[in-house]
Amino acid sequence: MKRVIEVKNLVKKYSKTTAVDSISFEVFQGEVFGLLGENGAGKSTTLEIIEGLRRPTSGEVKVLGFDAQSQKKQIKKKIGVQLQSSAYYNFLTLKEILNLFCTFYESKTEPMDLLRMVNLEEKANAYVNSLSGGQKQRFSIVASLVNNPEIVFLDEPTTGLDPLARRNLWNLISQIKAEGKTVVLTTHYMEEAEALCDRIAIMEKGKILAMDETHKLIEMSENPFSISFVLGSKIDKDAFSKVVSCGEIENIFGKKNHFILRIKDRACLNKALPLVMKLNPDSIQVGQATLEDLFIDLTGKVIGE
Amino acid sequence: MFLKLFVADIKMMFRNKQALFWAFMFPVLFSFIFGFFFGKEAKSGTIAIVNNSKTQISESYVTALEDANIYTVKKDISLEEASEQIESGKIVAAVEIPESFGELPNLSERMVMMQGAPSDSNNIEIPKQTLKIFLDPANAQANAPLIGFTDKFLSQVNLTAQNASEIFTYEQEKTNNKDLTYYDFVLSGILGLSVMNSSITGIAIAMSKYREDKILKRITTTPVPTWAFILAEVLSRLILNVLQISVVLSIGIYFFDANIYGSIFALVMATMLGALLFQLIGFAIAALSKTTDAAQGMGTAITIPMMFLGGVFFPIDSLPKWLYAVVQYFPLSPLLKILRNISSEGASLFADSKSLYIVCAWAIGVLIFSIWRFRLSDE
Repeated sequence: MKRVIEVKNLVKKYSKTTAVDSISFEVFQGEVFGLLGENGAGKSTTLEIIEGLRRPTSGEVKVLGFDAQSQKKQIKKKIGVQLQSSAYYNFLTLKEILNLFCTFYESKTEPMDLLRMVNLEEKANAYVNSLSGGQKQRFSIVASLVNNPEIVFLDEPTTGLDPLARRNLWNLISQIKAEGKTVVLTTHYMEEAEALCDRIAIMEKGKILAMDETHKLIEMSENPFSISFVLGSKIDKDAFSKVVSCGEIENIFGKKNHFILRIKDRACLNKALPLVMKLNPDSIQVGQATLEDLFIDLTGKVIGE
Repeated sequence: MFLKLFVADIKMMFRNKQALFWAFMFPVLFSFIFGFFFGKEAKSGTIAIVNNSKTQISESYVTALEDANIYTVKKDISLEEASEQIESGKIVAAVEIPESFGELPNLSERMVMMQGAPSDSNNIEIPKQTLKIFLDPANAQANAPLIGFTDKFLSQVNLTAQNASEIFTYEQEKTNNKDLTYYDFVLSGILGLSVMNSSITGIAIAMSKYREDKILKRITTTPVPTWAFILAEVLSRLILNVLQISVVLSIGIYFFDANIYGSIFALVMATMLGALLFQLIGFAIAALSKTTDAAQGMGTAITIPMMFLGGVFFPIDSLPKWLYAVVQYFPLSPLLKILRNISSEGASLFADSKSLYIVCAWAIGVLIFSIWRFRLSDE
């Protein structure tokens, strides 16, 4: 696979803090690569250094074979960038903004085609201010496509959106991927990274804690399997203690009689399942670990919004 | 690409109705306010005349006072009403002309033949007749012309009555022989003030807002060169400045008969030079301030002192020496000097080279600072 981005020992220091602490990774052509982490983990800084917007303190960044510092201009022509919560001009219509951006790249893309792609044709003559949050975000992404870029950078594309609008954007992103473009995105939503990304790097305090293909990452979790179940009011204590011995039990968010049992391997799962059934649960669900479980394993904490 | 950016900037400027309104509001407001106070129709206030006499002298005094156009003259008013109105500040003074004022044997006839041949009535003893002027002492400035006018009028009448003529007299000679009023002085000030306000705060706020909204950063993700983005912004604002200048000059010339002796073109060019300098100051402010609010505050902190100390409303030479030594180097001061040189002396843009050098030095200095500090996105 062709490498489109190569990052080697990248460091970005501000006067006292180290925002990015010697990270290295590669992004391959045509994949969706995700940087996952909390706010302040260094995701956006990393992205902006790759885009040529910030100067690294040290390290090497190559995009499409060009050096991110000395060959910014060549890079900028071939990438599309959606900034975190970026607004656009207030007093230009969507169509006018896209037209203007097209001239920046001397691109022949037809603005209406782009707007149609994200169902905003009807808003072609409206100002950005009149759009809903989801529409703004869709516009912001489609505006990064005016130059038909090889790599699209999306910085927290779905932050602050309602679930439906988020699904909408996920579809849009997979559509972009289907066109053969490489997508690099940052997010702090586990399920988003899980759903969209082919490969993920988990960042924390400027470092990459883990990086792999998404399913492999999840399997790295200490307890890849889980059984969640809800019991009636009477609990057989003996049977319950047998269940507990199969893995780690957790009373979900203090809800009465609602438990989750995290299990190390398939053998334990096979042993635990009939034991749980014996408790005669009102409800039972067998599942896999999620990215969030891995994240908690790695960082010891839950991502806060 | 550059042209499209420029067109887009112009479009945005004219669609931003609120900002546009304020860009014109101040110049228009100031031009009119100063015009009403000091333009051709401006008067020193209202006075009342209680004319109890019906003689030719009293009538001609009233007519002359009206024609002099110094005051709005109120007649048909009683002395009591008039003094009440003086106290309440509605009028600045009242003149009571006593009954039979100006009633003299032959005097009326003499008035008619003011320059006529001497007659033999020279030695007739005439009792003194007195006009009464009621003044509000707090309003000395507004009263001075009335006293001066009455004094002059009565001297003339006295001379005529005694059939004498002036021997010692004087001629007024103005230093530059041109008809110049305070309004002419202040109009050039308003020109400078308008472009200063809209350029400094305009650019500072627009750029900070663009930065806050990450529009500047978004621009840097594209291959657009920074100079193209900024030049388009600057040029589109110069268009706005031309419109502002035209509005101020039109109001001054058409409504208040402002006297402009120099070429309008030179005046516009000089103002544009100032606008350019102020835009650069706007960029410098945007470079220094982290938020739009900070930019607005810093802009005001710079424009307000300059408005009063740069010589918009008062000639700065009347300031204490030490203060003048400083404020004469404020960016606005030399610009206004150039503007006034052009508008009232008919000088060329390059006549006052010292002022021109100061303006250019500021522009270059601020330009270097802006290039050094102003970034579309932080690094």
